[in-house]
Amino acid sequence: MVTCLGDVFYPEIGERIVRLLRRLGVNVEFPAGQTCCGLPLFNSGYHADAAAVARRTLVIFGEAEQVVVPSGSCAWMVKHEYPGLMTDPAERAAAERLAGRTHELSQFLVKRLGRRRFTSAVPGRLTYHDSCHLLRGLHEAESPRALLRGLAGAEFVELPGCDECCGFGGSFSVRLPEVSTAILDKKLDSVEASGADAVVACDAGCLMQMRGGLSRRGSRVRALHLAEVLEPSEGGS
Amino acid sequence: MSEPELATPLRERAGQALRDTFLQEALSIATTKFIDLRREAFAEFPEGEALRDQARAIKEATLQRLDHYLEMLIDNVERRGGHVHYATSAEEARSIVLEIARRTGARLAVKSKSMATEEIHLNDALQAAGVTPVETDLGEYIIQLAHERPSHIIAPAIHKTKAQVAELFTRALGREAPPDPEVLTRIARAELREKFLQADLGISGANFGVAETGTIVLVTNEGNGRMVTSLPRVHVAVMGVEKIIPSMTDLVVFLAILAKSATGQTLSVYTSLVNGPRRGGELEGPEEFHLVLLDNGRIGQIAGPLREALSCLRCGACLNVCPVYRQIGGHAYGYTYPGPIGILLTAMLNGTESVRDLAHASSLCGACLDACPVRIDIPRMLIELRRDVGEQRIAPWAERVVFGALGWMLQRPALYRTAVRLGRLAQRPFMRRGMIRWLPLFFGAWTRTRDLPPVARRTFQERWAELERESRS
Amino acid sequence: MTARTEFLARIRGEMARASGAGTGVPAVRPDRPRERLDVLRRELAEGWRENLARFAREFERVGGVLHRVADAREVPETIARIAQEQGMRSVVTWHAASLGLDVATPLAARGLQTTAAPAAEVDAPERARHRALAAAADLGVTGVDLAVAETGTLVVVSGAGRPRSASLLPACHVAVFDREVLVESLAQAGLVLEAWHDGAPPEDRGASINFITGPSRTADIELTLTRGVHGPRDVHAVFVEQGLAARRG
Repeated sequence: MVTCLGDVFYPEIGERIVRLLRRLGVNVEFPAGQTCCGLPLFNSGYHADAAAVARRTLVIFGEAEQVVVPSGSCAWMVKHEYPGLMTDPAERAAAERLAGRTHELSQFLVKRLGRRRFTSAVPGRLTYHDSCHLLRGLHEAESPRALLRGLAGAEFVELPGCDECCGFGGSFSVRLPEVSTAILDKKLDSVEASGADAVVACDAGCLMQMRGGLSRRGSRVRALHLAEVLEPSEGGS
Repeated sequence: MSEPELATPLRERAGQALRDTFLQEALSIATTKFIDLRREAFAEFPEGEALRDQARAIKEATLQRLDHYLEMLIDNVERRGGHVHYATSAEEARSIVLEIARRTGARLAVKSKSMATEEIHLNDALQAAGVTPVETDLGEYIIQLAHERPSHIIAPAIHKTKAQVAELFTRALGREAPPDPEVLTRIARAELREKFLQADLGISGANFGVAETGTIVLVTNEGNGRMVTSLPRVHVAVMGVEKIIPSMTDLVVFLAILAKSATGQTLSVYTSLVNGPRRGGELEGPEEFHLVLLDNGRIGQIAGPLREALSCLRCGACLNVCPVYRQIGGHAYGYTYPGPIGILLTAMLNGTESVRDLAHASSLCGACLDACPVRIDIPRMLIELRRDVGEQRIAPWAERVVFGALGWMLQRPALYRTAVRLGRLAQRPFMRRGMIRWLPLFFGAWTRTRDLPPVARRTFQERWAELERESRS
Repeated sequence: MTARTEFLARIRGEMARASGAGTGVPAVRPDRPRERLDVLRRELAEGWRENLARFAREFERVGGVLHRVADAREVPETIARIAQEQGMRSVVTWHAASLGLDVATPLAARGLQTTAAPAAEVDAPERARHRALAAAADLGVTGVDLAVAETGTLVVVSGAGRPRSASLLPACHVAVFDREVLVESLAQAGLVLEAWHDGAPPEDRGASINFITGPSRTADIELTLTRGVHGPRDVHAVFVEQGLAARRG
């Protein structure tokens, strides 16, 4: 699953993931007809529409053995919210099955593939921002860190306030843009103070928010998706 | 009751808060400190997690037999010589208290901190009836002198600096007050001590009501709760019906997590168990004890979408961790209860319409759920409220059209692809060095402060055929 | 005004609509809590030293000052010393029968103006007089009905001879206790509360139970911790190793 933001704004991230997974021996398919997981509709309270979008997704990924999602929030939507959106028992069962087969990228690499050693595509000092849905929705703090700590050629430093929201929050970012930006500023101040060359995240929403802010600041620090720093190690495990 | 802040829209209220540099500093310092203290308290308390689960289970069990436990509480309070009153609305609660004040000829009322009495706007009503209400929690006292309202559930004057408090005391009390918390506290002690000794009416809330024993429990740090329930000749406690718990065994479960969540203390300094009026042989204690059971929207949620919020202990932990609260503080929310839980309580008390905008004052980051001692799923209920706002057509027309169109498009991949291509064309005039730095109309809400990535020259879907060929080569 | 029946009927109506919502269980209450408490007390008698050490740690952490004396006869001396150090002149105290020892006589002999609470009901003017004395007093002496090691908490039960104000109005509170009232945990304190509320209360039991965990404090001005905002600024606990006499209440 590429996710809407990944498809439209960050296709290069998707490309990297496809190549990375293939190098790790995974057979990658991309079922046609994908749009969005429906999270923006769901979070804004438009549940009938979200359910309709979810039903499409169930069909599209009906055949997939495992579904890898490069965004914690979309993975959370599929895993956490799809079953509850389905009223029909058969659809609910299908949603439960999909939920069980869906993995956020870092979780897939570490927990399904057991791969922790990679080479860094980005030399220098990296830090990590916990995206809210991955951390508190899927309770995943360790997998991304395991990957970043295990990176050859980069140094990992913890980000003070790493578990605090970046202020994106989907439509929140434009409903209360000043508040959203104030939260972002705090996050970016912390990123810049950490001395990192790049802040890594596992969510396209956070990336859009942080890149938008860093770019406006003219900062030298970059915001990168996890897939953008992982390069398969030769003979790595 | 009028809510003066509501004359301006939420976004503007938030903007004012963001521009208030004093407020920004105070909020940042206070919430950070509260977060650290809470974290430390639970770090050295391994059984805390299990107790949080247990506390929630107790709340749920109590709700399931709420009538049974309330009957028990009422009978036990009356057995101990107390009087119980029933208030369906805020107005009814006010008239009950006013009637007690009138009948007992009360002129001066001392109050210990109580969100329930804030919620029913009791002070204005007392004042109008010729009874002077004096808030005795230091923070509340400051707020009352400043004619403001609390900005935090447990730290009402969190938004005020010591210099502002000093200025306020100097003006309101007519005596020179230096900007020194120690001295300011001493001044307040002396002022309020007089009031405690003179007051004829003591008004409190209730942190818990213990059904099995008919006990009202008050948790404070300053000792004002003890004064209010012991010195005046009449004590009135206003308690939301959901504050009831079955037994003393349950009480200690809550005590073990409440203060840790609120201030990071092991226990608050004073936990006062009030078993009705003064008993024979006692030197102090009220001659009359009244318990006002308050509905005011709560009962309607027993079977409603906000049922979970009936478990709230009013500890304030969700405020401290909320990124939105930490930026805008309590007043910008515009109602009695601020922060994430406050949005739910506002909806409970004032109906869904009152949270049309507030329901969206959250990035749904989930920090509140993590911090909540009884694990109330606040983000889920915020989404439910948003749904209600949409389905009841309380949401603005334009918004419903936009989301309707979005839903329509996301179910139609061809339309989705067309929209992407249109976006690619439309963005051309706005591209600067690979980013969009300015957009008109609604889109300006993003670009005023942040750059926007352009729609990619080729989307992932448009690249897929190539990627597929790559794998075969 | 809404009547009890009407109010509860509405609740029942809503509860019926909510059928099936959520699951939960209340905490398991002890049956025969008084007997359970007797058993617990015997168990605790063994390890009182550990519990006292823990109490001392927690009590000091919340800003209390612990004094240990071997014999009850040393208590007045300790109180007098506290008073003297702070230049205090006047004392109010629980009645000797509720305290388990007489401190009023020896304190008065040391020149402190001391008033003991009456042992039984007095009329309103007399109550007002005592309240004024407590409000003016520098130091209040009370017993302790329960001391919780886990939290450093002193629990006092009001009643005849046991005024609430002695631990509240003076700037300094001195509480006297022994191993009999010491428990380890908050959960055990729950059992004690159950036992106290089991059956009709004794005639001279008051209507107020207070858990006191350190001196009165506030952080309402810029989160600066300040002591003694309404209640005592200083809290002392005097532990009597050999125990106090049997107390009333």
